[in-house]
Amino acid sequence: MTPRHVALLMAALAAIAFWQWTLIPEPVMQQAVGPRLFPALVVAALALVAVLYGLSAWRGRQIDLSHEDGQSALPGAQGRLLSVLGGGLAFMLLVVPLGFVIPATLCGMGVARGFDAPLGWRSALINLLVAAAFWTLFAQILGVGLGPALPWGI
Amino acid sequence: MNAFDALLGGFANALQPATLMWGFVGCFVGTLVGVLPGIGPALTIALLLPLTYHVPATSMFVMFAGIYYGAAYGGSTTSILLNTPGESAAVVTSLEGNKMARRGRAGQALATAAIGSFVAGTIGTLALTFVAPWVVEAALAFGPAEYFSLMVLSLVAVSAVLGNSMLRGVISLAAGLLFGLVGVDLQTGQPRLTFGRAELLDGIEVTVAAVGLFAVGEALYLAWQGREAKSAEVMKMSGSLWLSKSDWARSWKAWLRGALYGFPIGAMPAGGAELPTLLSYYTEKKLSRHPEEFGHGAIEGVAGPEAANNAAAAGVLMPLLTLGIPTSATAAIMLSAFEGYGIQTGPQLFTAQGSLVWTLIASLYIGNVILLILNLPLVGLWVKLLKIPPPWLYAGIIVISTAGVYGAGNSVFNVGLLFVFGLIGFVMRRFDFPAAPLIVGLILAPMAEQSMRQALTISMGDWSTFVTRPLSASLLLIAVLLLIVPPLWRRVRG
Repeated sequence: MTPRHVALLMAALAAIAFWQWTLIPEPVMQQAVGPRLFPALVVAALALVAVLYGLSAWRGRQIDLSHEDGQSALPGAQGRLLSVLGGGLAFMLLVVPLGFVIPATLCGMGVARGFDAPLGWRSALINLLVAAAFWTLFAQILGVGLGPALPWGI
Repeated sequence: MNAFDALLGGFANALQPATLMWGFVGCFVGTLVGVLPGIGPALTIALLLPLTYHVPATSMFVMFAGIYYGAAYGGSTTSILLNTPGESAAVVTSLEGNKMARRGRAGQALATAAIGSFVAGTIGTLALTFVAPWVVEAALAFGPAEYFSLMVLSLVAVSAVLGNSMLRGVISLAAGLLFGLVGVDLQTGQPRLTFGRAELLDGIEVTVAAVGLFAVGEALYLAWQGREAKSAEVMKMSGSLWLSKSDWARSWKAWLRGALYGFPIGAMPAGGAELPTLLSYYTEKKLSRHPEEFGHGAIEGVAGPEAANNAAAAGVLMPLLTLGIPTSATAAIMLSAFEGYGIQTGPQLFTAQGSLVWTLIASLYIGNVILLILNLPLVGLWVKLLKIPPPWLYAGIIVISTAGVYGAGNSVFNVGLLFVFGLIGFVMRRFDFPAAPLIVGLILAPMAEQSMRQALTISMGDWSTFVTRPLSASLLLIAVLLLIVPPLWRRVRG
């Protein structure tokens, strides 16, 4: 990924924002300023700065911090990134059917794997303890609704 | 009732055992998150926002204030013992602090940082106590046009002045404003930018965006780099925590000078804590009788910047409490907490919620004392925390982040959005986009739009209202100057 790719992503965001803006209906009542003006200004500003960033990136004036000394990614970067994201995905898919603790444990294991901790019993146990502790603190002591801890409704 | 009487009333509330307990918890948690890398006060307060439904407003804000001050205290421990400043404001502390630790004077570095933070934090809170009512009085004359112009100034200042690139700051701000407009328009009831999803009708929650950018984004970036797998080298606790006569003599003036830099600059829309810490460092270097020690562990180089950092933390609260304008990511999230309680911020906060505001200010004094007591005796515990291996540290941070977001509404959609913001945070971190303008823009977008619409309704659609009212025009002029002068200055110097 380079700053030019970032410029393309920003242009895509501006285009999607413009499309969504076109879907905002005109208000029924006459108003000095309706619900479309401020979003229009913001979308226009975003499009403008995306173009400026693109031009600047094309001239090689935008930076990628990973090119600085000691900041580049070590081999296996994509795998580590996917491990962390996979942990989050596991949580999203499993939290409703399985309750909080097991998906949070899997999420923690995914993140730990992203930081080069092996996927094994040690990781499972540590993350299980962390997830159970957080569930107890949030749900039991502070009263935040995290749902049941386990699939059988505890 | 004058400020002093109001403050006494605030102390009466803040010294209630329950309020004191929340203040203590806030100070403890704040120090903890200040010490730990990868987790800061903005993220912590964002994660605690779901508690707003369960805890009274006064207790909650006393805790938030403790977290905010505590993180500024705790950051020095990481800078001195790990040479890895947790936030940009603590970078300067590590310059001399870590060198002192390497020379066997870690105890003295931590002590001057903690006592300096106490002295400057107290001076900053005193200034907040007696200056804030004046600002409120002046701000009561503001109409919607002035408010809109003030918000424009703040947004420009936060995005264009701070950070390494004005363009990247403005991009971050534009994205934040766009995300802030997602949801139902409060005046017409029209859904905007929602993709037809019912989950987005209430807008993007600040917790989701802040936690995604700060916690998930940082974890993704560090995992991608793969350089954090092992714990960093933590210096041994060496040297006495008691300062010698010479250490006191070299520190106290630096504390006072740091406080004098920190509060006024922290209170400005673009002030922040980085500039006063740097100014303090160079002032101490210039005034020191031992300039040769700078770069090798000069105690003034720790005392001054740490004091400036904590006084700036008090300064940042001034525009937040008096004008309802956040000038940092943490202040923006605290503003969101006010909204969560249905409390309208701005100058009317001091009259409508006087008890809450003065209790909060009183708790800042008490918090400073708690932090001084908490920091030094517990330094052994903080050192142990620094030794948590990164895999378990970041796993814990992501699990608590996910729990915080999921707990706010049992929404799997919001957890997905959390990881989307994490990916945005990853890209921003890698390509050096500042995150604070995005968060401030997200919070201020609906408020700025509302002020603009009110001003235009009052002026019957006449846009010149923003430039014909003297105060509004002055604020807009300053905003334009902030946008134009720095690049011109660079060009002239170049």
